[in-house]
Formats: sequence, C-alpha cells, structure tokens
Amino acid sequence: MKNDEVIIRVGGAAGDGVQSAGLILARVFSRSGMHVNTYNYYQSIIRGGQSWYQIRASHREVRSQGDGLDVLIALNKDALERHTNPKINEGGASPLPKEGVAIMDSSMTGYKEFDVDYTPVPLGEIALKYSKNTLLKNTVAIGAAMGSLQMNFDILADVIRDQFGKKGDIAEQNVKAAKEGYDYYSQKYKKIKKDLKVSNEKRYLIAGGEAAGLGAATGGLKMYFGYPMTPASSILHFLAEHSTQYGVFVKITEDEISAINMAIGANYAGVRAMTGSSGGGFSLMTEALGMAGMVEVPLVVYEAQRAGPSTGLPTKTEQGDLMQVIGASQGDYPKVILAPRNIEELFHLTREALNIAERYQMPVILMVDLYLAEHYETISKPDLEFKIDHGKRAQDNQKDYRRYAYSEDGISARAIPGQPGLMHNEDSDEHNEFGDVVSDAETDPTLRTLSMEKRMKKMETYAKEIPPTPTYRADDAEYMVVQWGSTQGAVEEAIDILREKGLKVGGLEIFHIHPLNRDIEKKLSGRKKIIVVENNFSGQLNRLLKSEFSIKTELITKYDGESFYPEALSKEIEKKIGGN
Amino acid sequence: MVTIADYKGKVKPDWCPGCGNFAQLSAISMVLANMGIEPKDAVIASGIGCSSNMPEFINTYGFHGLHGRLIPVASAIKWANPKLTVIGYGGDGDGFFEGTQHFYHAAKRNIDITYIVSDNQVFGLTTGQASPTAAMGMKTKSTPNGNIEKPLNPLDFALAAGATFVARAFSGDAKHLQEMIKLGIQHKGFSFIDVFSPCVTYNKNNSYDYFRSRVYKLENNDKSDLLGAYKLAQELGDKIPIGVLYQKDEKTYEDYDPIIANTSLVEREPVKITEEHLAEFL
Ligand SMILES: Cc1ncc(C[n+]2csc(CCOP(=O)(O)OP(=O)(O)O)c2C)c(N)n1
Ligand code: SF4
Ligand SMILES: [Mg+2]
Repeated sequence: MKNDEVIIRVGGAAGDGVQSAGLILARVFSRSGMHVNTYNYYQSIIRGGQSWYQIRASHREVRSQGDGLDVLIALNKDALERHTNPKINEGGASPLPKEGVAIMDSSMTGYKEFDVDYTPVPLGEIALKYSKNTLLKNTVAIGAAMGSLQMNFDILADVIRDQFGKKGDIAEQNVKAAKEGYDYYSQKYKKIKKDLKVSNEKRYLIAGGEAAGLGAATGGLKMYFGYPMTPASSILHFLAEHSTQYGVFVKITEDEISAINMAIGANYAGVRAMTGSSGGGFSLMTEALGMAGMVEVPLVVYEAQRAGPSTGLPTKTEQGDLMQVIGASQGDYPKVILAPRNIEELFHLTREALNIAERYQMPVILMVDLYLAEHYETISKPDLEFKIDHGKRAQDNQKDYRRYAYSEDGISARAIPGQPGLMHNEDSDEHNEFGDVVSDAETDPTLRTLSMEKRMKKMETYAKEIPPTPTYRADDAEYMVVQWGSTQGAVEEAIDILREKGLKVGGLEIFHIHPLNRDIEKKLSGRKKIIVVENNFSGQLNRLLKSEFSIKTELITKYDGESFYPEALSKEIEKKIGGN
Repeated sequence: MVTIADYKGKVKPDWCPGCGNFAQLSAISMVLANMGIEPKDAVIASGIGCSSNMPEFINTYGFHGLHGRLIPVASAIKWANPKLTVIGYGGDGDGFFEGTQHFYHAAKRNIDITYIVSDNQVFGLTTGQASPTAAMGMKTKSTPNGNIEKPLNPLDFALAAGATFVARAFSGDAKHLQEMIKLGIQHKGFSFIDVFSPCVTYNKNNSYDYFRSRVYKLENNDKSDLLGAYKLAQELGDKIPIGVLYQKDEKTYEDYDPIIANTSLVEREPVKITEEHLAEFL
C-alpha cells in the first residue's frame, strides 16, 4: 500500500447512509487541498443488500479508485465480514490488509475472524448521547476515521455544518458526535502512519453528472429533456435542482422518444437543448437521432452506459454501448461521438459538444458510463469563459434563401422560426437545397445524390479539426495499451506500475470515437504489441479499430459490472506482454 | 395586411384529387391570414402520412418529422418561443397509434398548441390499412376479413387526458372547419380538433356522403360540461356532432414553469455562470 495516499471504505446496507458518509469524508480531503477519487458500489434496491463507498485521497493525483484499503468503516456485521475477509470478491476491490484498521460498533467487539486490526468504537452509545436514535452513529464513525488519520477536526466540523446547514441544532449535535468519535479513537488507538500533505488550497469536488450539467450550463444550455434511467439520472437531477440558478428548463417527458424529439424541436426553434439516457432509453431515441442528422438540427445526446444487455445491471458500469451508438439509426448521416476520459474532460467536452452540434448542425453523442457519471473527483477550477458559437445563420429576408444550400464545407445557414422572409420546411424525407421533398412525386436521383453528399461533406470538414489522439508515456513504449473513455485513470496507473517494473509500456487514449482520428495508426505503428482494454464483453472498440486500421491487437476485457483496478489490470497486461 | 396568398406554398400538393386534406390546407391558410398572423410566426409540425405532408405545401416554418412524433416537436417549439403560433398536424394513424402517449401527455400538460388530426379512418400513405379509428368490420389491406378491433374514440380520449379544447370538424364543411381551427388557435391551452377527412382512394366507407348524411352542428351546448361532452363524444351512429364539445380556461404548462413563464428562451441570453455558482463544489 502506498504511503502517500489513503483509502477509506464505508460499508453497510442500502439506506444506511453509506454514500452520504462517504461524501463527507471526500469533502474533508478536498478541502484539505488533496486530490480525491471516489467509488460507489451499490445495488438497485432502496433498502438492504450490501453497498459500499470508497474514498481515495492523496496530495498527488489519484486517477482511479486505486488498490488497497487503509480504513474500513463497517456499519454492520456483514460489511465487517465482507471487507476483512481476504477472499472478498467485489469486482476487484481489495480486502482490508493486516496493517489496516476496521472501525466498527463496540457491540461487534467479539468479532476477530481475520487477521486485521479491529478497532471497536461505541458508535451507537455515543450517538444516543446526542440524539434519540442511533442515526448519528455514522457521524461518530466518520469522526473516528478522521481521528485515525489525525486530519484537522475543524475542517470536518465545517463540512458537517455545511451538510446539515439549515438544521442548526442537528448540525451541532453531529459536530459533537463526530468530535467524540474523533477523540475516542485518538486516545484509544494508534494513529495510522501515512505521509499525507495537506494545504489550504481547497479543491473542487464534483461528480460526473454534475460536471456535465455545469459544463452544459456554461455552454449556453437552456433546455434539457429526459426520462429517468440510471446512470443518466444524475445529470437530470442536477439540472432540475439547478434549474432556477442556471436558467435551464428541465422536463421529464413521457418517454425517451418524446425527450429526443423535444430536444430536436427546441434546437430547431433556436434554443440550445440536450437530452440524455442510458442504453435502453437511447435505443428508443435512435430513429430521431437520424432525423436530427437528416434535417440538420443541432443535437447533443448524453448517453450514460450501464451494464447490459437489456435492463442488465442497473447500478453497474460497462462500456457495452459503443456498437449501438455508432450504428444507431438507419442510413448514413453525419455525427460525432465523444467519450470523455475523466470528469474534468466531461465538463469541457459537454459544452464543446454543444458548439460542434450547432456549428455543424448535426448530432453529437457524449458517451459516458456509470462509473464516470456517478463517481466524484477533484478537478481544477472550472474555467467559466467559453465562447458560444452559433455557426452559420441566415440574414432576415435574405434573397433566394436555401436552407440546405450545397456548400464547400457541407454546412448551410440556418433560419430560425420567427425570422422574416426565410420560411421553409425542414423535412425528414429526402429534400433539395430549399428543403423541398425529393422523395415523393418527383423522386430525383441526381438531387438525392447531391443532398446525401452535402450532409456527409460535413464529416470531411469536421475531420480537419479532430484533436490529436492523446498518448501516455508512449515515446519509448514498446507495448501500447489502448483505452477509451472512463478507463483512462486505471489504465494509466497500471502503466505506471509496469513502468516501475522496467517494462516499456505506454498508452493511447481514444476520447474521439467517431470519426476516429487517422493519427491512431501512426501512433501505434512499430510497437511490439498493441493491447486494447475495454469494460465490455466483446471488445467493441477493438473491433472498430481493426475495421478502420490495419493493426494487430490483443484484448483485455472486464464485464463483471465493476471498473478496472490498476494492480489487477497491470498483471493482465503483463501476461499479454509475456506471451511473446 | 396578411392575405391568404402569403400562405401559398411553392410546392403543389400531391394529394389525390378530392382528398379531405385540401380543405384543411386552405382552412389553416385562411384562418392564419384572417387572424393577421404573419407566416414567419407560424410553425406547422407534422408527422408522417399523406396528411403530414402539409408543411411542404404552405408558406410557414415547417417541420416534417417522424411518424407519430409531431407532438413533442411542436411542444418544445412552443416552450422555446411562445411568440410562435404552433400547429401540430397529422393523421389518425400518426396520432392515435404511434403517437398516442404524446397526445395524451400534451393534452394533460395543457401546452398551448393546436393539434389538428386529419382523421380518415385509414392509413393513406401506406396504401390502405386499418387505422385506429377504422370501424369494426371494415375491410382493408391489413384486415381482408374485416376489422375486428373496436375503433378508438379520439374525442373521448382527449377529454380523458384533460384537453382544454376539444372539437370535431368535417372537411366537407369548409366554413365550419375554419371556425373550429380559428377557435382552436385562439384558445390558450391544448386544443384538439379531430377532422373527418375522407380518403377517397383507400376508404370507400367513410366518404363525403357518409359524413354529410350524419354530421350535425352543435349549437348552444354547454361547453363547460365535461360529462355532457363525453356523452356527445359517444354519438357516432346515425348522428354525429361537429363543433366544440368542450372548452375550459386553465393555466397552461408554460404558465406554471418559472423558466419559461412570460419568457422567450430563444431571445433570453443564457445565464452567466459565475464563481458564486461554483462555491457548492468547494
Ligand atoms: C416508424 C414508422 N413506422 C411506419 C412508417 C410507415 N408509415 C408511413 S405513414 C403511415 C401511416 C399513415 O397513416 P395516417 O397517419 O393515418 O396518415 P394518412 O396517410 O392517413 O394521412 C405509416 C405506417 C413510418 N414512416 N415510420
Ligand atoms: S391516399 Fe387518401 S389520404 Fe392519401 S392523398 Fe389520397 S385520398 Fe388523401
Ligand atoms: Mg389516416
């Protein structure tokens, strides 16, 4: 376990407040100037089951949930057993090692099943001192955990006060309970030895869905339409909660088909609008997605993947929708697919997507996954300056206006309803430059060809501005690990582990899924091995890469519903390398 | 002054001669012109079907979208820009099969749009299958032995959904049709007008004569009487009422939502996100 980072895990049943306890801890670290990365393991139930929340913090960057465990807060016996048992199997999470401590209620004192440091604290007893029920025991445990690391108690007290802000008395009860837990631990047990550096510079702590919502708002979003589906609900909830503050109209629709058609209607009317769903809802949207391409209306769709197929694992992560998104909707039409690699990038790409969609008058799909949408990360201070680009717009009363004028770059000037002298029809049927249909009475193969080429021309124009594909420690790399989207952190950390072992491994990080940058082939050429890492069963990106480029690859997949863990992944990569 | 000529589209309608849709095209053009609405401020959103081709033939802003999906498009246009007169126009297949849920919820939300359905009891564009309003026993391409499904009652449905303006018209009575469309557009809230619109090619049963011999105009009915309206909606035998069955003044969805109430989002600048907004993440 690394000395310059700490990992705390809170385990309990759904309804126990596992996540809110975890978030308080995360906030203490981010306010102590540390980098934070959280991980949420939960099920699709409201009460019961087993869930846990993990916080990893350090003064240096932490890019994934990490390996190892320092402090366990077990809110019930099941959690205690699960996380101290060396045979834990929760998708790769580490059990509590010998050096770790397990904070638990004193009522479980007799439990000594495995070889770890059990550190009972009278959580329930202390809680009852400050309130009539034992709800406060989580707070006591949080205090104890912070005591075990000797974090500054004042910061914890502030976080608690902010959390319970409006309920003054309750806030103070909680602060006192936390203090007692903190003191109890400090007096009774040894402090955990860690080399953690704190600073006064607070860091911004934000979840993926929130970053997308915030990014969209800074990018001029005015309307959001959606139908709840995990993990796309987080952006929906966030925007609904901030609707007044951000001036964003938010509507839950009767279904996803309505949501996307509404987003198209709003964009057609000249208002920046978005929709979002998970794979299931997205599949309902596909017909309209193609329509956006056909009528050339800007559209951004936030597609948050969860483990499929079908209803699948509603609260588990996966990257299994790539083929569905690439192939969505009948016919050929221009579109862009972006897969942000981390939360900061999600913030930036969401508003960038709004600009691309409007400049090119075509759909842009932002592909995230449950892990990216729901976990928290510290990010650098969000840059609020952003230039909204509405693209080509027609002048009022423009002579001889052609909504779909065939142009050099494939992009024609839009007219918005209400503009004088520019009335026209936007049609899902094939149409000519004016928007007049060429599919009915006067089917016209020549015009059809020209119109198809006009739309697809946009892809050529766009190809010139695709950003270069990022690499990681690739200069001298003999082996290249290719990843896309949210697996960036785990893959980079796995590469670091292998580098420490002296293996020349580097990474290629694809966030621009469609169209693919042609630089990929060059960046992968001349390497001994190319290993594609994906959070799905069949290696969907791998298939795509092999169809687009002449490359030979090996594949590492994971489809148990959990993200990659760096240590385990590094071993798998090493195996692939070894098999020369 | 706006005249009907301003609404004349440059594409000639390709409907079959005698199709009921012609009357609706002229009625909509006439009413918009007479109401002094400029073509630039009118939007017609349609689905897919013979009727749904309308936006091609009229000089307004038009959106000819997907089969069954005109209502969400029309709703969002209205929410984005309340200054526009938004008309949803499509067929019975479009609205009562594929788009049923949208129809219901738009009515329930009382969005200020006017939804006109060209109800010909058949699928026209796909060359004559039974539509949701096709009568029992009707022989079509999809029901060669006669339709064995009960027809859907659009007025009943609209009333149950909470539409605040429910009317029926007939393409064979142009003046009355115009009157209904005018009242529908003037009504603030969700207006639904079901128009008997003979398909002369694929529905020989529900012809002009069929309707002409049955329809009668509602006069002096109590339009605020919901149960009375339900009763009228059941009259589908030898006597069929046309006119306004029900009308009610009620706040619209737009009135309730603080972001769009009295606001045109298309004109309003996006809210500037500042440092203060970021404080919650610290
Ligand atoms: C998703 C989808 N399903 C089916 C069709 C084929 N389709 C086109 S029009 C139509 C029915 C038209 O009937 P109606 O809405 O009553 O319009 P009408 O032609 O009678 O005016 C169908 C099924 C389609 N275009 N899209
Ligand atoms: S098929 Fe019927 S509905 Fe279609 S245009 Fe001809 S008459 Fe009208
Ligand atoms: Mg029909």
